[in-house]
Amino acid sequence: MSGPAEAGLIAAVAAPLALALLTVAGARLGPRLAVLTPVAALPALAVALFVPAGTGIVLPGVLLGLDLRIDPVARVFLGFTALIWAAAGLYGRTYLAADAGRLRFDAFFLATMAGNLGLILAADVAGFYLFFSLMTLAAYGLVIHDGTPFARRAGQAYIVLAVLGEACLLLGFMLAAAAADGRAIAGLPAAVAASPARDLTLALLLAGFGIKAGMVPLHVWLPVAHPAAPTPASAALSGAIIKAGIFGLLRFLPLGEAGAEAWGAAIVALGFFTACYGVLAGLPQHRPKTVLAYSSLSQMGLILAGIGSVLIDPAALPLALAATALYATHHGLAKAGLFLGVGVLATAGRRAHRRLILAALVVPALAIAGAPLTSGALAKLALKDIATTGGAAWADAERLLSFASVGTTLLMARFLVVAWRAARPATAAAVPRAGLWLPWLTLVIAGFAAAWALFTELHDEPLTYAAAPGRLWTQSWPVLLGALLAGLAFLPSVRRALAPIAIPEGDVIAAAGPLGRMVVTGAGLAARRSPKPAVRPPRPGAVTRPAAAEARLRRWPVTGMTLLLVAAALLAALRFG
Amino acid sequence: MTVAAWLPVATLLSSLTPGLLIFALPAGAHRTRIAFNLIGAALKLVLVALLLWGVWLGERYEARLTLVPELDLVLRVDPLAMLFVTLSAGLWFVTTIYAISYLAGTEHQNRFFGFFAICVAATTGIALAGNAITFLIFYELLTLSTWPLVVHRGDAGSLAAGRHYLAYTLAGSAPLLLGVVWMQSLTGPVEFAEGPQLGAHLDTDRGLLILIFWLLIAGLGVKAALVPLHGWLPTAMVAPAPVSALLHAVAVVKAGAFGIVRVVHDVYGTTLVRELGVGLPLALLAAATILYGSVLALRQTDLKRRLAFSTVSQVSYITLGVALAGPIATIGGLVHLIHQGLMKITMFFCAGAFAETVHAHRIDQLDGIGRRMPWTTLAFSVAALGMIGVPPVAGFISKWYLGTGALEAGQPWVIFVLGASSLLNAAYFLPVLYRAWFRPPAGCWHEDAHRAGSRFETSAGLFLPPVVTAAAALAAGLFAGFAASPLGWATLIAALGHGR
Repeated sequence: MSGPAEAGLIAAVAAPLALALLTVAGARLGPRLAVLTPVAALPALAVALFVPAGTGIVLPGVLLGLDLRIDPVARVFLGFTALIWAAAGLYGRTYLAADAGRLRFDAFFLATMAGNLGLILAADVAGFYLFFSLMTLAAYGLVIHDGTPFARRAGQAYIVLAVLGEACLLLGFMLAAAAADGRAIAGLPAAVAASPARDLTLALLLAGFGIKAGMVPLHVWLPVAHPAAPTPASAALSGAIIKAGIFGLLRFLPLGEAGAEAWGAAIVALGFFTACYGVLAGLPQHRPKTVLAYSSLSQMGLILAGIGSVLIDPAALPLALAATALYATHHGLAKAGLFLGVGVLATAGRRAHRRLILAALVVPALAIAGAPLTSGALAKLALKDIATTGGAAWADAERLLSFASVGTTLLMARFLVVAWRAARPATAAAVPRAGLWLPWLTLVIAGFAAAWALFTELHDEPLTYAAAPGRLWTQSWPVLLGALLAGLAFLPSVRRALAPIAIPEGDVIAAAGPLGRMVVTGAGLAARRSPKPAVRPPRPGAVTRPAAAEARLRRWPVTGMTLLLVAAALLAALRFG
Repeated sequence: MTVAAWLPVATLLSSLTPGLLIFALPAGAHRTRIAFNLIGAALKLVLVALLLWGVWLGERYEARLTLVPELDLVLRVDPLAMLFVTLSAGLWFVTTIYAISYLAGTEHQNRFFGFFAICVAATTGIALAGNAITFLIFYELLTLSTWPLVVHRGDAGSLAAGRHYLAYTLAGSAPLLLGVVWMQSLTGPVEFAEGPQLGAHLDTDRGLLILIFWLLIAGLGVKAALVPLHGWLPTAMVAPAPVSALLHAVAVVKAGAFGIVRVVHDVYGTTLVRELGVGLPLALLAAATILYGSVLALRQTDLKRRLAFSTVSQVSYITLGVALAGPIATIGGLVHLIHQGLMKITMFFCAGAFAETVHAHRIDQLDGIGRRMPWTTLAFSVAALGMIGVPPVAGFISKWYLGTGALEAGQPWVIFVLGASSLLNAAYFLPVLYRAWFRPPAGCWHEDAHRAGSRFETSAGLFLPPVVTAAAALAAGLFAGFAASPLGWATLIAALGHGR
């Protein structure tokens, strides 16, 4: 029953977990083991590459019968997830070399990693919940690691939403398991579809996983928490952990079953809404990592729309699974690469180096925007393939995806601008260290390679297909249009017009003022603490204008929020009116 | 008497004898007292292991002493009794070690340890009681032997808490006694082994059966801290930490909850409980207690008081599971008897260690305690996460069985109670963990003598018990799938007892 392949499944989870425990346990042992942190993800990567799909092992005594199993979808998710964790771990060795709390960071990092990898392999619902909770709770230690007021505020927003999400999932899992009269995940979706409590179950699952995936309006924690963490953790959060929400939806929603069309339409709508919202709320941001977090939100929206369309048209399931996996791989690796790149840029002292690094950052940025022949272009082609099978909801997918591409290009341009402005190293002669740029470039290259490899499984002649003139054009014009619009933003008159628009990070929480703060702090976190100073992260690139009236206007986040909501409502009306 | 009769008697005596002997010791005989205590506790563990092995193989042990005709004292060992006996034997052992350290150098130790052992003997008697009268006798013995422990410190606050405790528990005795006597007059002696006999009276005395049920629940509910009968529990937390630990995890509240299990399973039977329609009101009462206890816990600033209200909430999980009277929910309730005990005793051990080592009593004094006492804080964290229901700690297993069991029993509202309870638990435990691990220490700790001469962060006797019980709580959840786990044992009991 247990050969090397089965042992590999256990090792994929046990390696980071054991290392996390050893890091905690020994004050003298811990620092010596730190060198192993990036290695801890390698067993999982090996499993993704070499263990055949269908391999599984049941440990009947552990929890309620822990079942670890790998299937084609899990393989893809496990592969890119392990790669991101390995690269982020390597990056962290250098990035946090001088950090006094490095040991604590490593322990939380490894525990989060173990949870993230484990939930992909778990084939029973209790095991899935175990690993999902481990990931969620351990990631709190990553979010608040810096200990700044900004990080603490982010931590509060994170933990409140995370615990709510956990509770939703627990109830959803109980309902699903009771309906199926069993704990094997494979049997749950069909049972949920047939259950009398279907709508309640779906609502709970969608909320629980939606919080993790940043689905609007449950996203409020994400644009605050992802950037607050140290850069390697940001990369893991936005690259890998956010995909756990997507993965959960793929695992538990009744995707191959008919009858949940209304839910499908709702998810498609929420998905496109999230996609637009992420772009609009991300554009006025001033910190590169925050812009990236909003971009993640927006990209997850597109994946959500793809998943929702399967509920409308169950026949699209095989294509949708492949497309979602490809999209998740592309976005995970490219976005993690962008986060790591921000950190590399920040350590470059010489202007020539900074230019070179910025040029290299353009590549994953173009991929996220979906420029032709990049990994993003392949992912979007795969997503459009769902439409061609005839899902009614996707009749205008082509148009919507092109439209999203324009927005994403704008957002990526905004990212490059604020990243450039934000990079002000302490010493002029500083040179980025190999421990930083090596994992960064590895991820960028791996993103392209993995996307092409997965695309090859979808189409026999991938290059001919992807480079067909018609497709080249439909994928080029949104990027060109986006770039043009971004160029316009440099005109002085446009800049003046845009300057008053300010959307605080974490948009709704921050803008809702007392009410939003009550939601976040109301659960009694850090009860009775000393009055907290209003936290406002520095805005490196903010244009300073002396006019008092305008300053007041700029401080008035409601302007931006109103604009955002009006725009979003208009879009929604346009789409579904 | 045969071996089969001697084993349960010996198990009872292994706690009772040291208790009585200790009263006879001179005040300064510390070593002898410690030896009596530890030998008794170790012997009890051995006896319990023997019993477990026998019961696992299907043996049932019984000892019977006829006082007057129709009035037998019966000690009987069945799987349900073993669930409770094993818990009390295991936790008595660690609590004894803890208490020896905790009380080192204080006065009146003979009185304390004497009543402590008798209290455990009474708990054993309650667990092994084979009929209602035996149960009643040991139940009252428990009430009386616990009072000296609650007032042990002897100050005004302790004495007030003691009066409070007696007022509640003695008031609870009246309906319990009335209920048992009334029931006996209806059916003759109530033997748990014979299974529920009351069903025969369903047609003739339906109203009376319902009345007796609520009399019994009212009596047991005081100790089980069902709202509105819970008032004594938070006041009683002025007692020394090992007493609180025992009170909240093993002895008093568990005796009440265990009694409710006996009433539902072996006196009425789940079938009759369903037919009388008393299960749902009891479940609703338990659910209300779960939420009420959690809401009040949220408002406490003293660590032990917060834990006390948390107990009010958590013990009602047991009642809830049993009251739902479905096969899976019953497993959830029964297994929580063990799980809650392991987790809550860990937390009281830790609270005591914080208070004794660095004089931290309030939650806001725990800032940064994780750096000063990492292992104790870790043990506390494991137990707290378990209470919230985070896997793989034991609390998750209870919650999972209660939730899926409630759905199976057609009571879907229960999962929302469980969800709300999880959120409330998170809201009152996570801030404590945040302070302990992530806040910088507030200032200089007031170090205590417990640190001196120990290689641990506090004295060994305060250090090891919470670490051991936290590990047990973790193992009970992580290895729940094994047949010998608490879950496996609860499954066995439910399979034997269900449908009677």
